[in-house]
Amino acid sequence: MNNVIEIEHLTKSYGKNRGIIDVSLKVKAGDIFGFLGPNGAGKSTTIRSMMGFLKTDSGSIRILGMDSVNDHEKIMANIGYMPSEAWFYDSMKVSEVIAYAADIRGLDCREEAEKLCERLKVNTNKKIRELSYGNKKKVSIVCAMQHKPKLFIFDEPTGGLDPLMQRSFFELITEYVDKGATCLLSTHVLSEVNKYCRSAAIMREGRLTMLDSPDIDDDEFLKFYEDTEEEA
Amino acid sequence: MRKIFLKELKMNLKALLIWSLSVGGMGLACILLYRTMEGDMKEMAEAFSHMGSFSDAFGMSTLSIATIKGFFATEVGAVHGLGGSMFAALMGVGMLSKEEELHTGEFLFSFPVSRKKIISAKALCIAVMIILFTLISAGLYVCGFALLGEKLPAGEFVTYMGMQLIMDLEIAGICFAISSIFAKTKTGLALGTSLMCYAYDIIGRVVPDVKQYLFIGPFSYSNASDIFSGAEIQGKAIAFGITVTILSIVFAYICYDKRDLSS
Repeated sequence: MNNVIEIEHLTKSYGKNRGIIDVSLKVKAGDIFGFLGPNGAGKSTTIRSMMGFLKTDSGSIRILGMDSVNDHEKIMANIGYMPSEAWFYDSMKVSEVIAYAADIRGLDCREEAEKLCERLKVNTNKKIRELSYGNKKKVSIVCAMQHKPKLFIFDEPTGGLDPLMQRSFFELITEYVDKGATCLLSTHVLSEVNKYCRSAAIMREGRLTMLDSPDIDDDEFLKFYEDTEEEA
Repeated sequence: MRKIFLKELKMNLKALLIWSLSVGGMGLACILLYRTMEGDMKEMAEAFSHMGSFSDAFGMSTLSIATIKGFFATEVGAVHGLGGSMFAALMGVGMLSKEEELHTGEFLFSFPVSRKKIISAKALCIAVMIILFTLISAGLYVCGFALLGEKLPAGEFVTYMGMQLIMDLEIAGICFAISSIFAKTKTGLALGTSLMCYAYDIIGRVVPDVKQYLFIGPFSYSNASDIFSGAEIQGKAIAFGITVTILSIVFAYICYDKRDLSS
């Protein structure tokens, strides 16, 4: 299996509002794929469609060689997902959330979770409601990584993380990818794409354009944003 | 699915205890009040039984509130009926929508569990909560009878609590269906549904034209006065109630499985 993600002519609209239009995308196994684009361009809609949160209008999504609708549970078993905003059940402790995320998958992930918590400096004794935005993000990273999935999908993962944690996060991704995983991450931070991604695409106005290389300069990158603002 | 079910049970345990002890406790207090009011009750019961439609609506034309059975049916019957239906409505209406309202949906739905299984776990949790609510309340009422040294009319009591259980499941089912539509918990709509059902039953017992359609409302087959006065339970009303419950749950499955989940 060469392509871990295969999206063909995906369209999703929200009533009269545009979502994404005719998006086609392939992500190869072992890739760290950067997904760029201004706010409202359709990055999260694409990701949320892949995760099955949204019902698409047309097109198809295949993940790990399986159909995203018919094989939803099997696909989810092999995905580590981190949403742009990390929300958990407030009354639970961090350790309970992490254990719950493993239990629900029917896995014993204690060893990996412990390692991740140590690397990311996660205090597992605190209640979720006591955590800052950044610390919730770190819990979200642990929940997404502890079961060592084949595919990581991260929606703006580094927002709220301090620079040291951002570095630890990308080190972890690189380690997992070196062991055979694949990663798709949406971001606004060009330097992250330049530094860590092996291929990239940019979304604008619901349409996707593949980039020849993730090494694009600031001016070229900002052109996508400026054009969008002018059109708006 | 089991993990989701257990987590829901744990998270709703506090609400269950508050509601069951409050409603059951109020019922228990009512039962214990009977002894102190017993002396004055005979004249009052006579007066209440001759108040026409009012007596019919509250079951005092068929049962004397001067007896413990009649007192339980009219007083505790109203407290438990209203309290139970409100608890069921609140349980049902928040169970699905809270995931989107509290933004925990993306966490929950990123696990290898289908939406159908999540709905099943949550529906099962509601059912178990309502059963536990009924058992705890019933236990407190039984304690009330024991403390007064009065004989519990066991047959009628079990029938009444059973019918209340079916009624609460019906109201929870309707509210569960409402919960599947909206991304915000519609507490007002749920409580309104519960109170409207109660009001419909009262109106149905007073207005002759509505009487033949009384069976539509869930309070019709679970009315304490009817059960404790030995009136025949309407099979049609129970069948209608169970049908509404099933259809509501099926609706919740279809609706929730097909719609977009907000972040």
